[in-house]
Amino acid sequence: MAWSMVCWWSPVPPVTEADAGYRAGIAALAQGTPDAALPLLQAAERAGEGGGFAALNLGLALMQLGRLSQAEAALTRAAAALPDHPEPYFRLGTIAGVRGEAGRAEALFLAALDRAPHHVTALAALAALAEAAGHLAQAADLVARARAADPEEPELELAAARLALLRGEAEAAAAGAAAVLAQRPAHPAAAKLYAEALLARLDPTAALAVVAARAAEDPFAAGWALAAARLHAAAGQPAAALAEWQAAALLAPEQPEVLALLGLALDEAGRRAEAEPLLRAAITARPTDLDLRNRLATMLWRNGRSAAMLEVLDQAMVEFGPQPTLMMNRALALNAVGRQAEALESADAAVPAGGVLALVNRIAVLPYHPERGHALALRDCGRAIAAKLGPAAPAVHRPREAGRRLRVGLLSGGLGRHPVGWLTVAGLEALPAAEFSLHAFALKPREDMLAARFRACCAGWHEMQHRSDAEIAAAIAAERIDILIDLGGYGESGRLFVLQHRPAPVQIKWVGAQFSTTGLGCVDWMLTDRWETPAGFEHLYSERLLRLPDGYVCYAPPAYAPPVTLLPALAGQGAAKGVRFGCFNNLAKVTPAVLTAWARILAALPEATLELRTPVLSEASAREGLLARMATAGLPAERVTLLGGVPHQALLAAYGGIDIALDPFPYTGGLTVCEALWMGVPVVSLAGDSFAGRHALSHLSNIGLPDWVATTPEAYVAQAVARARDLPALAAVRAGLRARVAASPLVDAPRFGRGLAAALRRAWSECCAMG
Amino acid sequence: MSDRPAAMPAASRAVPAAAPALATRLLDRARLLLRQGRPGEALPILDRLVRLPGGDTAALLLRAEALLGLGRPDAAEAAATAALERLAGPAPAVVVPPAAAVALLLRARARQAAGSLDPAIDDAAAAVMAVPGDAGAKQVLGAALLEQQRFDEAIWFLGEAFRAAPEDPQRQLRLGQAFMLAQRHEAAAELLAHCAAGHPDLPGVVALQAQNRLLAGDPAGAAALVRAALGRGVVEAGLHSVLAHVLIGEADTEGAAQHFTAAARLAPRNAYLGHLAAALAGSPADMPDRAADAYVRTVFDGYAPRFEASLISLGYRVPGLMRQAVERLLPEVAGGAAKLGPVLDLGCGTGLVGAALSDLIGGPLVGVDLSRPMLEQAAAKGIYTTLHQAEASAALLGPMPPQALITAADVFCYFGRLELLLERCRSRLRQGGLLLFSLERAAPGEGWQLGPRGRFRHAADYVAGCLAAAGLQSLECREEVLRQEANGVVDGLLVVARATGH
Repeated sequence: MAWSMVCWWSPVPPVTEADAGYRAGIAALAQGTPDAALPLLQAAERAGEGGGFAALNLGLALMQLGRLSQAEAALTRAAAALPDHPEPYFRLGTIAGVRGEAGRAEALFLAALDRAPHHVTALAALAALAEAAGHLAQAADLVARARAADPEEPELELAAARLALLRGEAEAAAAGAAAVLAQRPAHPAAAKLYAEALLARLDPTAALAVVAARAAEDPFAAGWALAAARLHAAAGQPAAALAEWQAAALLAPEQPEVLALLGLALDEAGRRAEAEPLLRAAITARPTDLDLRNRLATMLWRNGRSAAMLEVLDQAMVEFGPQPTLMMNRALALNAVGRQAEALESADAAVPAGGVLALVNRIAVLPYHPERGHALALRDCGRAIAAKLGPAAPAVHRPREAGRRLRVGLLSGGLGRHPVGWLTVAGLEALPAAEFSLHAFALKPREDMLAARFRACCAGWHEMQHRSDAEIAAAIAAERIDILIDLGGYGESGRLFVLQHRPAPVQIKWVGAQFSTTGLGCVDWMLTDRWETPAGFEHLYSERLLRLPDGYVCYAPPAYAPPVTLLPALAGQGAAKGVRFGCFNNLAKVTPAVLTAWARILAALPEATLELRTPVLSEASAREGLLARMATAGLPAERVTLLGGVPHQALLAAYGGIDIALDPFPYTGGLTVCEALWMGVPVVSLAGDSFAGRHALSHLSNIGLPDWVATTPEAYVAQAVARARDLPALAAVRAGLRARVAASPLVDAPRFGRGLAAALRRAWSECCAMG
Repeated sequence: MSDRPAAMPAASRAVPAAAPALATRLLDRARLLLRQGRPGEALPILDRLVRLPGGDTAALLLRAEALLGLGRPDAAEAAATAALERLAGPAPAVVVPPAAAVALLLRARARQAAGSLDPAIDDAAAAVMAVPGDAGAKQVLGAALLEQQRFDEAIWFLGEAFRAAPEDPQRQLRLGQAFMLAQRHEAAAELLAHCAAGHPDLPGVVALQAQNRLLAGDPAGAAALVRAALGRGVVEAGLHSVLAHVLIGEADTEGAAQHFTAAARLAPRNAYLGHLAAALAGSPADMPDRAADAYVRTVFDGYAPRFEASLISLGYRVPGLMRQAVERLLPEVAGGAAKLGPVLDLGCGTGLVGAALSDLIGGPLVGVDLSRPMLEQAAAKGIYTTLHQAEASAALLGPMPPQALITAADVFCYFGRLELLLERCRSRLRQGGLLLFSLERAAPGEGWQLGPRGRFRHAADYVAGCLAAAGLQSLECREEVLRQEANGVVDGLLVVARATGH
């Protein structure tokens, strides 16, 4: 709903003679400094100055600052003090609208109109509500009434133009939008409508030509750049769109919405350092935009700044109430800082109103939950998603010849330096080219050496980031893919629902948020191994289990990994000191139960220390939160070092200071385990029953160290303590560990390639046999 | 809520009152974006800036740079020309003012990127004359000369640029490449090793080192370098390409195919790699119907200096076979009673066919080849009336008198489909004129096939059909051994056909 359109602000003048404090507050408000106005108006209200207008203007100031709850309270006081004045009702209606409470908003706007039948902004706001509800004739009538009261107002002309477009009158809409742009050349909503109106009757190229002609005629009006950006974005050309947003922001630097649009485009392009200040500035200028808050939060999350994300969301929750999008994002933030139980609560709260996305959000945090993150619960959540989605499309036809060369599609945002890359590239390279051709459907552009390896082994490459699920599925079908492998799942850049369109006759889930069953009928197989899913686990999966002969991944150790060091506990001069445990997993995996187990280990080993290292620990509030949870678990802060993220090579080098890695649970380490092992650090782990709960078991079993895996927390503690007390044995394991891994199936790409080829062939043959 | 900004920009269609400040802001941002390597984002800003009344030369120059960075050399050239006119007047004097050098250099780079090498060299040379102390100008001139295969001059200017900034890795790299192409392999090795030691992550440096070793006759050393780099996780088209060439030399077709394929995937716009990958992979769906010009040019440009020696060592027989065919079919010419008349030698290379026929011709002898270094070698023989750098089938469209003889020795093996080519040959022959060409032989019924060495093979029955369709009467189609190769002889066809009535 275009709230920004109807909620332009004008300070309500006092109707009575007032004292100096109140007048100063109003002046500050009029000058656009609501923060300065705040204490003055608060003092004025307390002193009884200005009648109810002190409270009203205080409410306006608070709204401008995005403090909606406080604004609501002040406006309610103003409504009580000024029962015949429309403005408190109108503003209260605006707040209700911002919070998505359409019914309440409508009642309040009507209340305002009762008090002032020609209240233009209330009419416009009601029109917007009617438009959002699809009542176009009613909306048009309301807009006409408002325009009768204020025929000069461009916002009303824009509202009329938008309604024209909704009625299918594209030319009238374009003319209306252009008329608004003539008066306000940098008006973002007018530019957007202009672009939409052009697209309603022209193809994108022709529409761009119209806008380019306008821009050539009037090169310094930001509106044409804005319209061009919209058209490029609609045509799936984000780089060209970004270029136009840049131009628009330079031409209209005072427009918060333009800054926001540029910020969002920069965020999309992965340029978060540039995007963050723009988004923050836009939020300051437009504090009532919920979407901006969520976008900032998402950006912080992608940047590994979950604590900052949480702060943004907590603030937004206070102002906007428990909106589903906020609850979902908050669940991710809470999870990422290690508050798994609260995360699941937040995710659960979003489910009733949040649709299928809320369920996806739920399954993304569920596997981390210390008690409820088990396989059955995950399966049930997956089933709930499947039930919401409904049946998948029918399978496409491909020539069903069991022995022919197969076209294998890879759907992923992780085809590069990403856990998916490190755990799949070597195995995919080893697939026999005579039997399989690989085709990438990349969901995130990546330029790095691992991405180059993927490019070198893929016969086809399709960048799909900005495409819809249906478009991606169509591209996969057009490439005549026989077997589609999903490498993203329910993860951040995953597009699992593409498989619901059934673009390939065989669809397989592999690495990439592979923490449990997907629950979806359109996923035929789960690529796995006998440790991840031993016999008897079938009922926990909606997919059939396609077990590889060894582990389910093939690790590609980076060439830049430094050599394995001597055991740190023995490396110092003189007597041996205590062992140093380490855990380089993200904080989402570090549950209270994990902290308790670690506390018991350190209690049994008075000399031992623990090092935690993960990006979110760069944030003070994340460290403080963890320290508090550590204290609750009895883990002594002075024996635990908390460190933030470092570049990958330095991260690997940091294992030089670790004697034993302690794996978290129930979501165990995946790539982290492989890296620790490659760096000579053995891993003590606790296996659960979910896929995520058995990653470490798979990797350790694959290199012949299954006896490092416990099955109960008690055994996990005892195992860690016993290993730490036998330094000679630990030193021996470390000395031979890289060679052991190097000789193991975990990194044996040719062997893995043979196993993968056989598994894919089996899946295909069964598909052929079914006809 | 407070969406109405305090001050709206003026609604006027004229240039805003605050134009100077706005222009400065736009220019600064465009400059910053270009520095950050974002020409696409700079362009819409610059498009607007150049519309300011009177325009701004700086904006024109930046716009040329942005267009160059976006791979739009023609538009970049136009923008640079506009800037140059602003700086040096519409018809630049013989000596351009130093201030105009920057525009000249941009235009030189644009022209080089568009493949107009001579104009690029002219611009860069003018810039060097305008600012003799500018090492960057010498670098641009050297790079253009290098691409034009004028190695000695290229080395001179690239060397000057290198001496001005000996630690600049790009200057080291480019000079090293020039040494390599000029067959000064030791100098190239030294410079490239220095470059790689200081900048081990510089893209292309190891591939160039390896290529230099390969060209210097050390394939094992080249392979070792490549394999070490791949082992370090470096993935580049150039590395795979060098390794594939090494493997071809070892007759490891499968290995070569794998690495050419990887190289082609990493450099999808490289026609040379794409052609070889398709040739070796042998997949009919991916097979082109002729070799890309870039492929042929790349092959022969690199080959020219040692082409004849190499062919002689391979027992190359085609020019001799062609002379014998002429003598057989035209006894009056063989006996000296008549001369051939105008002769067109398609794919003349270093001029071996011209040399074999020279005493029989008695008319203009025109040579056509894609490779400039090859043409230079042919010119040195002093027997060709004219030499054109052109692709064979395109050259047949140019103006020329009706030809008595068209020869194509080892040329049609770079074409799969022959129909169009033979039609064009027919159209340029005079009545009764001869077309004489060699092919690599495919089995009857196979039509045409792309072989693992990037060349096509043709079946005699297919050729006969094409000749008839083109209005050419087949006089001879003899099975001949064309030459030796590492893994045996190359079986071929020598075809002679006569132009019958139009």
